[in-house]
Amino acid sequence: MVEVSVTKKYGERTVLDVDKLRFERGKVYAVMGSNGSGKSTFAGILAGVLKGDGEIIYDGKKPETGYMPQKSFAFDMSLTANMLLGQPLRGRKAIRDKARRLLADFGLGEMSKKNAKKLSGGETQKLALARLMMEEHELLILDEPTAAMDVNAVEKAEKFLKDYFVRSRPAIVIVTHSPAQARRLADEVIFLDEGRVEEKGSVAEAFGNPRSDKLKKFLSVNG
Amino acid sequence: MWSNVTAAFEKAFALMGEGNTLLNEIVATTMEMSVQSSLYAMLIGVPIGALVGVARFPGRRIVVLIMRTLMGLPAVAVGILVYLLFSGTGPFGKLGLMYSVELMVIAQVILITPVVAGFTETAVAPAYDAMRDTAAGMGLNKAKIALLAVNETKYQLVATYLFAFSRSIAEVGAVQIVGGNILHKTRVMTTAIALNYNMGQFSLALALGIILMLIVLGLNVIASALQAGLKKRNG
Ligand SMILES: Nc1ncnc2c1ncn2[C@@H]1O[C@H](COP(=O)(O)OP(=O)(O)O)[C@@H](O)[C@H]1O
Ligand SMILES: [Mg+2]
Repeated sequence: MVEVSVTKKYGERTVLDVDKLRFERGKVYAVMGSNGSGKSTFAGILAGVLKGDGEIIYDGKKPETGYMPQKSFAFDMSLTANMLLGQPLRGRKAIRDKARRLLADFGLGEMSKKNAKKLSGGETQKLALARLMMEEHELLILDEPTAAMDVNAVEKAEKFLKDYFVRSRPAIVIVTHSPAQARRLADEVIFLDEGRVEEKGSVAEAFGNPRSDKLKKFLSVNG
Repeated sequence: MWSNVTAAFEKAFALMGEGNTLLNEIVATTMEMSVQSSLYAMLIGVPIGALVGVARFPGRRIVVLIMRTLMGLPAVAVGILVYLLFSGTGPFGKLGLMYSVELMVIAQVILITPVVAGFTETAVAPAYDAMRDTAAGMGLNKAKIALLAVNETKYQLVATYLFAFSRSIAEVGAVQIVGGNILHKTRVMTTAIALNYNMGQFSLALALGIILMLIVLGLNVIASALQAGLKKRNG
């Protein structure tokens, strides 16, 4: 569906350099790597909020894309209003019901009338994920979407992601630090190191029989 | 000195207590001028500031620099400029606005709009940076994102309005020149204060100053109550 060949430089330093990385609908990709390896840079460029040098080629038209940045943001309004942002039919009962259901699913139902700025980091992340699920996407890019959540919330969020995935069969690109999460959610792993693809392959291959020493080390430390 | 100040307070409360018609008239003209000036300055300045706050283009820093420099426009210079533009021989002389409240409003809008725009830009730019990726990731369009950035700064905008109003009500240089301090027409509190000072009526001048401060205080009290209400409603 989409093929990415980009480099990104800050000053003299190249923080991302990937060539012909392909993403197809109906697959979940885990982007992994240590801090500063270029994961967020890659996610931002793929989402179109960051400019790089190179090209992003789509088969056919540009897919409907949803993107959740690493830093979740709550808009200064109620949780419900946050959910309805950008919904042209926000007056419709079906839309409002969907928002209510999603908030309840993420355990935020009781707080729906509260100002979203009052939420904790983990709650803000839940809101951001729930808000994104108001729409169906062809390409969904999530940058460490559960990093601030507790284990219960992570479990729930992953369940919703799976349901969402089954429902609309998008390509999901999820940046994660957790090999366990990658195992639970992803089909493919892209392991970045200093902006380059150090290893790439199916979850079974990459985790079961890693070729790269860096990935081996990463896995031994992160479990 | 202290006897003067005490006398001024006594006079201020006496004036307000007796329902002095001249004072009421001057206060009314002052409010008419300041409310209009501050509202128009907001209507023009907030969109400009917001636009510059969310736009990212080469040369943006120069625009911001110019905007911030205009915040320091000297009132008397603006007064003279507006005077030259609107006096009988000026390009807008035909409008016959010389020595009118309308022209005082025009001069003040020129004076205050850059301040409003500058404050708005300063508030909106970081708010925009904090939310732009999230908003773009939700597929929101540029106009919607800009409005959301302004929404993030609504409390700062209330403060900006208060500043605009206070600046307008306390300003004397420009309104003296284009308004002329005409009794029953363009006399406002600051020009009345200046006049009384020139006539050596220090305690009356101070008394008017005290009343002016009380008006600003009242407005601030209302505004903080509104703000508290808004915060409460926002949960
Ligand atoms: N705006 C920026 N200016 C300079 N360097 C940056 C900027 N953004 C990111 N970087 C650098 O680029 C590298 C990759 O960053 P990032 O993609 O956020 O890493 P990751 O998400 O893998 O932790 C890091 O070393 C980071 O410091
Ligand atoms: Mg990151």
